[in-house]
Amino acid sequence: MDALVVLIPLMPFLASAIIGIGHQFGAIKGEASETFTALTATWAISMSSLLALALLGADLLQRNNGTFDVALWLDSDTLKIDIGFITAGFSVKLSALFAVLLMVITRFSINYMHREVGFHRFFFILSLFSSAILMLVLSRNALGTFVGWEIAGLCSYLLISYAYNRPVAVANATQVFVTNRIGDAGFILGIGLSYAWVESLNWSDINAAATDLSKGEATAIALCFTVAALAKSAQLPFSPWLARAMEGPTPSSAAFYGAVMIHAGVFLIITLAPLISHTPLVMALLIFSGTTTALYSYFIGLTQTDVKSSLVFATSGQLGLMFLECGLGFWQLASWHLCAHAVVRCYLVLTAPSLMFNVRDNPIKPVAPMLANKRWLFVASLQRFWVEQITDWALVKPVRHLARDLSYFDDNIVDRLMGIPAPAINAASSLAQLEERALGAKLDADSGNSGKTFVVGLGLVSALTNRIAGLVHWFEDRLVLQGVSKDALHFGRKMGHLANKFETLVLRPRYLVLLVFITLLVAF
Amino acid sequence: MSTTDFPLLTLLIFLPLLGALATGFFGNKERARTIAVSFAVIELLLSLLAFHWFNPDDGQFQLLEHHLWIPGLNVEYLLGIDGISVLFLPMSAFVTLMVIVASWNSVQHLEPFHYALLLALEGITIGVFTALDMVLFFLFWELTLPPIFFLIGLWGVDPHRRIAAVKYTLFMLFGGAALLVAIVMLAINAAAPADGVGTQLVFSLPTLLEKPLPDDLQGTVFLLLLLAFAVKTPLIPFHTWMPTATMESSPQIAALLTGLKLGAYGIIRFTMPLAPSAAVEYSWILGVLGAITLIYGALIALYQTNLRRLLAYSSVSHVGLVIVGIASLNMQGIQGAIFQLLNFTIVASSLMLIAGFIQHRLGSTETVHLGGLAKVMPKLTCFYFLFVLASIGVPGTSGFPAELLLIISALVAHPSLGIAALAAAVLGAAYMLDFTRKAFFGPIIHQTVQQLQDLRRRELLLLCVPALLVLVFGFFPNLILHTNEKAADAWLSRILEQPVKSDEVAGIGSLE
Repeated sequence: MDALVVLIPLMPFLASAIIGIGHQFGAIKGEASETFTALTATWAISMSSLLALALLGADLLQRNNGTFDVALWLDSDTLKIDIGFITAGFSVKLSALFAVLLMVITRFSINYMHREVGFHRFFFILSLFSSAILMLVLSRNALGTFVGWEIAGLCSYLLISYAYNRPVAVANATQVFVTNRIGDAGFILGIGLSYAWVESLNWSDINAAATDLSKGEATAIALCFTVAALAKSAQLPFSPWLARAMEGPTPSSAAFYGAVMIHAGVFLIITLAPLISHTPLVMALLIFSGTTTALYSYFIGLTQTDVKSSLVFATSGQLGLMFLECGLGFWQLASWHLCAHAVVRCYLVLTAPSLMFNVRDNPIKPVAPMLANKRWLFVASLQRFWVEQITDWALVKPVRHLARDLSYFDDNIVDRLMGIPAPAINAASSLAQLEERALGAKLDADSGNSGKTFVVGLGLVSALTNRIAGLVHWFEDRLVLQGVSKDALHFGRKMGHLANKFETLVLRPRYLVLLVFITLLVAF
Repeated sequence: MSTTDFPLLTLLIFLPLLGALATGFFGNKERARTIAVSFAVIELLLSLLAFHWFNPDDGQFQLLEHHLWIPGLNVEYLLGIDGISVLFLPMSAFVTLMVIVASWNSVQHLEPFHYALLLALEGITIGVFTALDMVLFFLFWELTLPPIFFLIGLWGVDPHRRIAAVKYTLFMLFGGAALLVAIVMLAINAAAPADGVGTQLVFSLPTLLEKPLPDDLQGTVFLLLLLAFAVKTPLIPFHTWMPTATMESSPQIAALLTGLKLGAYGIIRFTMPLAPSAAVEYSWILGVLGAITLIYGALIALYQTNLRRLLAYSSVSHVGLVIVGIASLNMQGIQGAIFQLLNFTIVASSLMLIAGFIQHRLGSTETVHLGGLAKVMPKLTCFYFLFVLASIGVPGTSGFPAELLLIISALVAHPSLGIAALAAAVLGAAYMLDFTRKAFFGPIIHQTVQQLQDLRRRELLLLCVPALLVLVFGFFPNLILHTNEKAADAWLSRILEQPVKSDEVAGIGSLE
């Protein structure tokens, strides 16, 4: 039975490949092909669900070996990465649940997406996502999980920007992807550290090594994966991306942020349970982050007036509780909570559009008095506790400004130091000059500059020589020949101004933080 | 069939040069184009044949061709390939073919000369990758300059193309001077007789590799060779020719300039093994330089509004990562570096060609002139997005195994460099997707964009091949890794197993 596991992620992947390639080369397009696309996607995910259920049955009857390795994917020296799957335990149960939920969502989408412009694109992405998430859950090693993790994030990006001609949707998608990318960096760091210290990327080996590793090493590895999990499951401080992710079509919201992908973080924590229970620091972090997220989502959820936002904060609140349970060591409870929540939330998000229809004309309930009486809390809740603004101010803006400064530095200082400053100045006229030169009219020759430019500007060496010559000349002329004069004082004052300017520039927060960061890196 | 006697590498070098002459002789542009494409195709097939003859289980130089060239100076005509260089041959041939096909309609004057220069550059580039004699290498290295000078200067798209061409040439000459000094130092040192007789200069790389430099010379030679290749790579602060050249030259030539990774190849082939103990001693400097280049390039790319300039800086950033990998001096590092170079040869040149398709249609790749391209050019956007994903390093594309190997190698060797590389991975996603958002998504603002035509059949087929390669190498990275495994192993042991001073070895060991 073990070998069946390969087909579970493979079926939707093949479906997505067929739809994607067909669509790109024009074989599948328009309403006429909708049936074909829909059938391909549904059949693939249905087969996956059946296979996953069969695998689950075999696991319950204890017919499985527990693991199944397909082939070597990459090897370099001692780094050997297999494509391997788990065929027993929590992963299999979860994969069966996810596959069934995804089948329901895929079937639901056929009618929902009918005659939409991006029908084929939607099913391509949904199938790819199904494949990725099943890979994530079933993979035996950290790398396979990461592949699923990243592809799922990519699909999320593509579906948030589903209506790509709306600038808001695309901006949100980009922000979500980049936020998640920070978590992914944590994941990669975790993989790298696992290779360095455990010399294996299999989840079972990493967990087994928990007792052999030193406290610091175990904490570092667990911390990296935890950061990845917090980002993926929209826990604080990464929470705001979830609200932005609701731009996509409803079935995709159900798949990504209701039923399936959002739980990947919790799944990762549960997979690493043996390692994490050895690291009190990470447990504390889980408790802290889970509790604050749950409270944060609760208070914001109270003031939301649209369906999707309410669902978003309900989801992140529940996920916060799951992280709290993990942090307290109730792993079994967390896994049950995960499964139950996936089913309920899938239903809630899928029915959200018809809810609008059912509750029309009903008056909106007033805000809870507890919140209405405290104005500051009400404002904070409406503003979502300014988390996004704070991260924007603390992280995004400094990076942007740094980019701007560096770009200026590169164009105006490095380029001049290394190359030719001259063309930047006569930029506007040089095409005309070029043509004049082609005609044989040497108009720029009489400016007296053309012969000199080569010596003045071109190349580092000539520029340096020129500068040194100028400096020596100045020294000779002003200091040696005339002694210290007014000019020297003037020069000194100029230097003072420059130093002052430099000081204020360096003392800007972004440079201070950068300096501290570099110092830390060097110390590390 | 005897594979050792047939001078395949010579043929690979001189066939395109012959093709250049042939295209140059026909004034007719149609015929010149046909001839150029046929020569490029034959060249690609021959380079694949070289790859087929190559034996990956042998870490030494293969397909050697050895003749005395200038007996007085003991300069040899010595060609050969090993696992490090073998894949660069088909890649160069492939990129040249892509560029020729992409130039089909966008080059409007002096067509025969254009194709002739492209073919000549191809032959010379293959020469750079196969030359094993220092003088021969230097000859090919400097010979790349005239074709590029004319290609930028004559067919550039911006008014400053000639200045850009001069800038490029001067930068490279500056690097070349350092290279020449290093070569002479190496030759004289190897010639210095131990017993007082025999003062033959030595220029052959395999011989030089056997003769270790004295410790006092190692540092100088290392720095000179590093300087020589840093200009071409480009490492900070010698990178400024790159944005200028990509902006001024035509996008096809920019694709060649960003796609051919000669500088990084030079660092792998010459800088590190020729001064091994200095390489070990200064590897951290190299790593820090790489990390600075990596972050610096990525941050500046975040601020770019022009696709071609963005690609130039992203190329600078990626090369920084490669240097970090080389500097970490382990198997993952060197294998990842070669993988990333090949990956980026495909990805950078394809993205640049896509920029060229946009430029050809709109006359600009500036974001203010774009916006909403996805609506009118879905096929082009799809290919663009795939290459962007490969550039970010998303799993399933060839960028992922390459970046993974490099990051892991950096984490194992110098953890802080690994963290810098991770930061750059986040920034990489940010700048690429931010540009995609502004240029390809959103509403259509300009009337000119509304009327754009999607990819033509020729362009579609042209992009299919690199897209397929990106996916194949992403799914089966061992295809590449197995060809250079033995060579990388030999490379690494040559550097690490030198009679190095013991405290330096201890220093490296403690970084584990």
